[in-house]
Amino acid sequence: MVIQIVVTIGVLLFILPNIYTSYKKKSLTRFGAVIWIFFWIVGLVIIWFPELIGLIGKLMGVERSIDALVYISIVYLLYVSLRQKIRLNEVNKEITLLNRKIALKNKDKE
Amino acid sequence: MKTYIILPAYCEEKIIKKVIKDIQKEGYNNIIVVDDGSDDKTYEQALSTGVITLQHPINRGKGAATQTGIDVAKLLNADIIVTMDSDGQHNPKDIKKLIKPIIDKKADVVIGSRMINNKDMPKSRIIMNKIANIITYIFFGIMVTDSQSGFRAYNKKVYNSVYTYLDRYEFESEMLGQIKNANLKIKEVPIKVIYTDYSKSKYKHMPEFPAQGLSNGVKMVIRLIENSLFK
Repeated sequence: MVIQIVVTIGVLLFILPNIYTSYKKKSLTRFGAVIWIFFWIVGLVIIWFPELIGLIGKLMGVERSIDALVYISIVYLLYVSLRQKIRLNEVNKEITLLNRKIALKNKDKE
Repeated sequence: MKTYIILPAYCEEKIIKKVIKDIQKEGYNNIIVVDDGSDDKTYEQALSTGVITLQHPINRGKGAATQTGIDVAKLLNADIIVTMDSDGQHNPKDIKKLIKPIIDKKADVVIGSRMINNKDMPKSRIIMNKIANIITYIFFGIMVTDSQSGFRAYNKKVYNSVYTYLDRYEFESEMLGQIKNANLKIKEVPIKVIYTDYSKSKYKHMPEFPAQGLSNGVKMVIRLIENSLFK
């Protein structure tokens, strides 16, 4: 019970306000903020009602409910990694184009 | 016809001046050097010769530097663009051979191929080149004898319809793919590579250490796969 209370307080006092601040500072889109809030609320629900994992496990056809959690986490991590890879690729292209523009601009100044 | 020679250069302070002078001796004075963020005096050395010299603030790779050079040549309304390596391994006397099919309107792109007469080439290098050709064919659907040759000539049609985004060596393959998609005429002419002590010391991994070449090949494949996944 203690760990559930500590995590809940942590989420409510630190993580959710942090998401809100990031959204206000425009470092998170509205969609991103909603996803993160949803993610943490689902986390809190699971902490308070762990038997829900069992239900998810049954729905997914896995014997142990913890396996379901691991599979979901792997899929989520792969998704995050893919998103980062795409973004990295875009940033790389942007850096090269910026590099080129600076080189051309400096030449123009001469 | 206005011909521009593009030299993408990275840390070539020892040889860049000689390379530029050798090209000028052959009668080509329109030279564009793109220093790709070298941490030596490549930029200053090239600038002192009076040719057009640009500098990337940070190193982005041969592909990025070459495309910057092509952009400049395009702004200067070049009729023909020739790209060469700046380490002196390409013979400026071959430029004439490269641009002739374009002047005669027999080709839009001419590739200086090291593989047509490859008697002097180390066997490991021949194998690596053949592997690179197969990789280029798999990813871009075009087969040439020397897909990685940096000694090429292009006409206006090419630089108006092609723009590469790959920064490193695999841009040579990317460019061939775009050339194929644009239905441009390709011709290959034999060239000889000059293996000087300088180029040997710089690329010592190529003939003597095929494992290093293999690792570069693997890296190239990974980058090409990534590129085909994340456009």
